[in-house]
Amino acid sequence: MTTQLPPGLQLEKVDERIMTLNVGPQHPGSGHMRLIIKVDGDYIVSCDPDPGYVHRGEEKMAEYRNYIVNIPHLERPVIHDSCNVLYPYCLGVEELLGLEVPERAKYLRVIASELNRCVYIQYWLAIYGIFLGHSTMFMWPAGDRELLIDLLEKITGARVTHAYFVPGGIRNDVPANFEDMCLKRVNYFEKRIKEYAAIFYDNPILISRTQGAGVLSREDAIRLGTTGSTLRASGVDFDLRKKEPYDAYGELDVHSNVLKDGDSYARSKIPWLDMLESCNIIRQALQKMPKSGSVRVKLKPNPKGGNDEVYKRVESGRGSLGCYIVSRSQPEPYRLKLSVGSFRNLICMPYLLKGEKLGNMPAVYWSLNYWPVEADR
Amino acid sequence: MSQPETPETKSLAKAQPQKELPQFEKSLADKLESKFNSKATIEFVKVNRIRVKVKKEDVLDVARFIRDELHFDHAESVTGVDYPDQKEIEVVYHLGSYTDPELAKQVLTLATRAPREENPSPGNDSTRLPSLRDIFYSVEFHERECFEMLGVYFENHPDNRRLLLPEDWADLPPMRKDFKIKGR
Amino acid sequence: MSAIAPKFRFSYFIKSILDNAFWAVTLFALIGIPIMMVLFFYFNLPVMNDKLTTPYLMLTTIADPSRQIPLLKSLIHTDFFRITAFPGFGFAALLAAATIFIERKMLAKLQLRVGPFYCGKIEGILQLAGDGLKLISKEIIIPAKADKPIFWAAPVLFVATAAAFVALIPVAGGGWVVADIDVGLLAVFAIIGFFPIITVLSAWSANSKFPFIGGIRALHQMISFEIPLILSVLGVVILTGSLNLSEIVQSQIHYWWIVFLPIGAIVFFIAMLAELERIPFDLPEAESEIVAGWLTEFSGMMYGLVQLGSYVKLYAFSALFVVLFLGGWNGPMVWPPFPEEIIKNGITMGPITARFPGLPLLDQQMLNDTLWFVIKTMGVIFMVLLPRGVFPRIRIDLLLHIGWYKLIGLCFVNIFIALGLLYAGVLGPGGIL
Repeated sequence: MTTQLPPGLQLEKVDERIMTLNVGPQHPGSGHMRLIIKVDGDYIVSCDPDPGYVHRGEEKMAEYRNYIVNIPHLERPVIHDSCNVLYPYCLGVEELLGLEVPERAKYLRVIASELNRCVYIQYWLAIYGIFLGHSTMFMWPAGDRELLIDLLEKITGARVTHAYFVPGGIRNDVPANFEDMCLKRVNYFEKRIKEYAAIFYDNPILISRTQGAGVLSREDAIRLGTTGSTLRASGVDFDLRKKEPYDAYGELDVHSNVLKDGDSYARSKIPWLDMLESCNIIRQALQKMPKSGSVRVKLKPNPKGGNDEVYKRVESGRGSLGCYIVSRSQPEPYRLKLSVGSFRNLICMPYLLKGEKLGNMPAVYWSLNYWPVEADR
Repeated sequence: MSQPETPETKSLAKAQPQKELPQFEKSLADKLESKFNSKATIEFVKVNRIRVKVKKEDVLDVARFIRDELHFDHAESVTGVDYPDQKEIEVVYHLGSYTDPELAKQVLTLATRAPREENPSPGNDSTRLPSLRDIFYSVEFHERECFEMLGVYFENHPDNRRLLLPEDWADLPPMRKDFKIKGR
Repeated sequence: MSAIAPKFRFSYFIKSILDNAFWAVTLFALIGIPIMMVLFFYFNLPVMNDKLTTPYLMLTTIADPSRQIPLLKSLIHTDFFRITAFPGFGFAALLAAATIFIERKMLAKLQLRVGPFYCGKIEGILQLAGDGLKLISKEIIIPAKADKPIFWAAPVLFVATAAAFVALIPVAGGGWVVADIDVGLLAVFAIIGFFPIITVLSAWSANSKFPFIGGIRALHQMISFEIPLILSVLGVVILTGSLNLSEIVQSQIHYWWIVFLPIGAIVFFIAMLAELERIPFDLPEAESEIVAGWLTEFSGMMYGLVQLGSYVKLYAFSALFVVLFLGGWNGPMVWPPFPEEIIKNGITMGPITARFPGLPLLDQQMLNDTLWFVIKTMGVIFMVLLPRGVFPRIRIDLLLHIGWYKLIGLCFVNIFIALGLLYAGVLGPGGIL
């Protein structure tokens, strides 16, 4: 503490054999973050993730805005998964304000959130494909997700930033022919994503490259507190839709996909299986959904929560997404914290990349289902 | 599991102490209370949620008990909450469990408080807490975030560096209440 | 971008064309013709009609329409034309441009999109020209600590080496090759040996980390795949008994070597993909790991030159595959003969009859050979491009494993097949077939 250089700015001594690579933030294989990777030949000696390039202070902003105004900006961390990001916030505010969501809104929330999960996973899969040098796997999901984006646009009025969920229900009801349209598109979508297996998941080069890369054992997955596909690929059956069902999930038959291997291949396959499962859930929800009814309870103009705190979590595209709201009888939350899956999986990165080959770096990094913007909030 | 979870209406713990508490959560809270007596204060017991408040001297013991005896095995989030009126900063650990299927729904909230200083110098002042990293490995990055956002230094944490903020950030820790957003 | 400028007037348009024509004619008369005269003094002019032509005579000869075709013919048979235009670099660059266009459109169709669409109206056919213009107009940035002479030389050397490779490829029968040498195949491998050196030099001279890693990867990959590449053509050499590429093609008049040596052809094809750094073997340029590999620090036209070189190299390798395994230019005669009436009577349009003495410009056999050669080459190029849409990138250790363990073993199997065919007296010099 003698020289007051801030941490991270000091020069460090390294071995001459070791080469330090700055993977990011302006690197085609990094996303909006930096990985400081030290390589010895082709092997990674250490990896130090450095997120924060897209930190936007969502939590600080939330402290200055009331519960309704907070809705649109809280979905910004993951605009491709915006329904799921808002979901725990809405659940939490409903508990704080004591609101009861109408039955139809619960089902519509499930449908919107599952559609959004597919949209997110398609985007993720596209980037996973291009990171492994498979350009067709970039274009196909990026094209097929338009199908669902289009559907969501018809429901919510916006392509990606829906702001569809509000405390007390959903913003507006769906158009008249929604059920047929949704069923048709979901069926076609399912047929399409089944084709991905032939070109991507059964591809011998992909298998030889990703199997055995970055193996996360079951014990380590639990110890590191990972979540989502990273956790379920390591053999832990933990899906909040099944374990702690929220809204209408309790009445639906949800199957959680679990694989045992814990390698990059398993981690990349889980989201794909999740998409198939999402199609299943949407079909079930469309069947069980009440055909009419209100979708939102009226709120007072500037609602105040009590002197209370809530912690709600949902299963998002990247794993468990928690929202912790501390309320002190004000119209604004006193403290709002998003506990996001990407940030929780960040801890795996130095752990898994150490000792890997440099060529495995994108395969391992992106298989963690890490979304830099969400992790930075 | 067939019951859909309905949001608790008006579940202010202090307002309705007579309300019947959920059984399983109550038993967990009783275990904690019988072990630590006054050291660990159970602040509320709600459906699937328990909140325990401990002093910072006892947090390591309580955390170790929660891990070994109650089988909570990972931290979901670490949140710092600034209370300038009480001159304290509260750090809240949300603990969950993957190994025990009974505990899958449960989130145990472990809260502890550190003294707050008006003119903080992160890392060099009295705003310090023991790190839970040796007990819950998963708090590593969460505690790093908490350190930079609120200036709570975690003792024995191996890596108390900046995480999200720029390396040359020289302002107040931004999640403190006296760090104001311009124009608001 | 509107098609017609808002202040467009047809009379202005006509005037601008006439203006341009006027200046072109004026400048040609005042500057072009004197320069040509000066140049003719320095050239060795041909003998025409038993007379040594003088520069004045030469100028009138050029202006004479009836002599232009013979002149053109004599130009075609000069070495300069061969090196720059037809069997040499120009032809290769044209095919390379076609390759880029095909690659973009084919990949787009494979991936359910349209590809280049607007530039050039018809299916984005001018997109490549647009890209070239963009690259030329870009600033060239050289890293501060780079070894400048080598860094500058690397792209030029790369294109030059690729062009040297092209010079050895026989395109059509009757000597349509730039350098018809007896050790053609050896020369090919000697030239291929330059590519890793250029790659490593450019990577090292850039003095940057990602190019360095990319260069090392390229070195590993190219050197370890050169061995199966050389061994896989040994079968063809054994059966042909010659290293001359033209003779190898002539030996395949009746049957192609791929019929007897399929293993060699497959190994050659895979090793070719690795030498070309095409997906799935594009590790030296793996953008998600090492940015753009050894091309990272190149900018502007330096990058453009490397890309040109790599596509010319792609053409040359595909052509070599055709020469070695697919029978080169051999194929049934499909090119229509040049119409006799035009040779005899010329073209009659109303009252005017234009005679063209000296036709046809190129003989039918040569055109037919070129057609078959181009068709086969484009087929092979298509097969080289196809994996890009289907496969992800492979990892370096798996790549080296394939090169050293599997391909070399298959090469020996291939050689034994060739030797067996030779000693059983089936093929080869003096064989049954």
